[in-house]
Amino acid sequence: MTLLPWLVTAWLFGIGIYGIVTSRDYVHIIGSLSVCQSSTYVLLLSIGFRWHSGPPIFYEHPPGTASVDPVVHALVLTDIVVGAAVTALLLVIALQVHKRCGTTDPQQLRPLRHTK
Amino acid sequence: MKAILAALLLLAACSGLLVVLSRDPKRQVFAIAANGLVLGLLFTALQAPDVALSEIAVGTALTPLLYLVTLAAIAMNRARQ
Amino acid sequence: MTARWRLGLLIAAMLALAPAVWAVVTALPPFGSPTAAYGQVVNRLLPHLRTVSNMVAAVNFDVRGLDTLGEESMLLCAVTGAVVLLRGSRGEDRAEHAGRVPGRATIERDDASIVVCRIGAPILLAFSAYVALHGTVTPGGGFQAGAIAVSALLLVYLGDGYARWRSRVPHPLMAFIEGLGALLFVLCAALPLAWSVPALTSLLPTGKWKDLYSGGLMVPVNIGVALAVLGGFAVLVAEFMEETRTPESDPVPDEEDA
Repeated sequence: MTLLPWLVTAWLFGIGIYGIVTSRDYVHIIGSLSVCQSSTYVLLLSIGFRWHSGPPIFYEHPPGTASVDPVVHALVLTDIVVGAAVTALLLVIALQVHKRCGTTDPQQLRPLRHTK
Repeated sequence: MKAILAALLLLAACSGLLVVLSRDPKRQVFAIAANGLVLGLLFTALQAPDVALSEIAVGTALTPLLYLVTLAAIAMNRARQ
Repeated sequence: MTARWRLGLLIAAMLALAPAVWAVVTALPPFGSPTAAYGQVVNRLLPHLRTVSNMVAAVNFDVRGLDTLGEESMLLCAVTGAVVLLRGSRGEDRAEHAGRVPGRATIERDDASIVVCRIGAPILLAFSAYVALHGTVTPGGGFQAGAIAVSALLLVYLGDGYARWRSRVPHPLMAFIEGLGALLFVLCAALPLAWSVPALTSLLPTGKWKDLYSGGLMVPVNIGVALAVLGGFAVLVAEFMEETRTPESDPVPDEEDA
């Protein structure tokens, strides 16, 4: 249990990279990239976690009671929302590639050559 | 608590694997939504209700819809060509 | 490079990096033991210094407020980039009819799903307003509230289709809301400079602990973020939807099944 979160983090990152490398579709690549991204969330939140502690919101329990690290929560929280916008930008780029080249398969694209 | 956390971590590892292994983007969308839900539950168990709230709103509703609309637009491009 | 070569390269790289990963995994502190001193300092000091009960909001909108402003502008840039790319190839005119992939059946919406979506959307919208206003008190805040509000708009789409969404949720209004939210945040960050104090210093009264108004400047910043996220994602989704429409008329009724 002491090593499990770190192993899960490494696993998620590795499997995401594997998906990106072997993918034949840009939309699938973006999905795999989001798995890589989720590994950072798991890592940060696991680093901030403490046993027998509540959430860092002192509404029901008074300040001073043990609670987990709020700094990593703030980092992850903003990244999830901003990451969704960046994912949308990537999806738009995939859509444009399909419009111009008629394919979403990276194998069939010639880099930096005008295809129209 | 320990068992729940371990189970959710393993579940997150499995759902991430599922996202990568579903090669058809149409199927992958559902894997992405499931992954978002599992991550949301995991974040709740890690005492991060703020993060879980945004992950569930973004990961299970917003992002899958963007993927679906992109796939619909790509399918219509393909039909036009 | 062929697919087999790429996979081989990946396996070689992973095998080479595996010992390093293992060294890091075993060197990290055991899961669940307190490590970062900074977070505990925040937990100890901020409830008194800022009179807020949600430490995550306090970190986001006060302690690392300038950093959040950077993230906020990243959101703005991503949305702008996506809109520019989509409009650059399509133009700004709006197509009248829902596009349709030939050979795919058009499924009529069930009455039940329409009713559920119409009831659910205002409830979700109200909930997002609650989350935004109580951002400094209970779990929540601008980022979550914006995302929840957009999912309420998505229910409008699910229940009534994009044609209805477009007439009910005016596109320029959403773009305006996005800009307004971002401007509010920038003003909150910049105005204290005029009084020659650091950016984002709260000059407002701090309010009462556990009260709806607590945290001073965090309240407008929170609302600004909520507006920016709501407007940004609404613009984004609408631009994506425009991509699935065709100018030529369609024999089937106006109905999407994406």
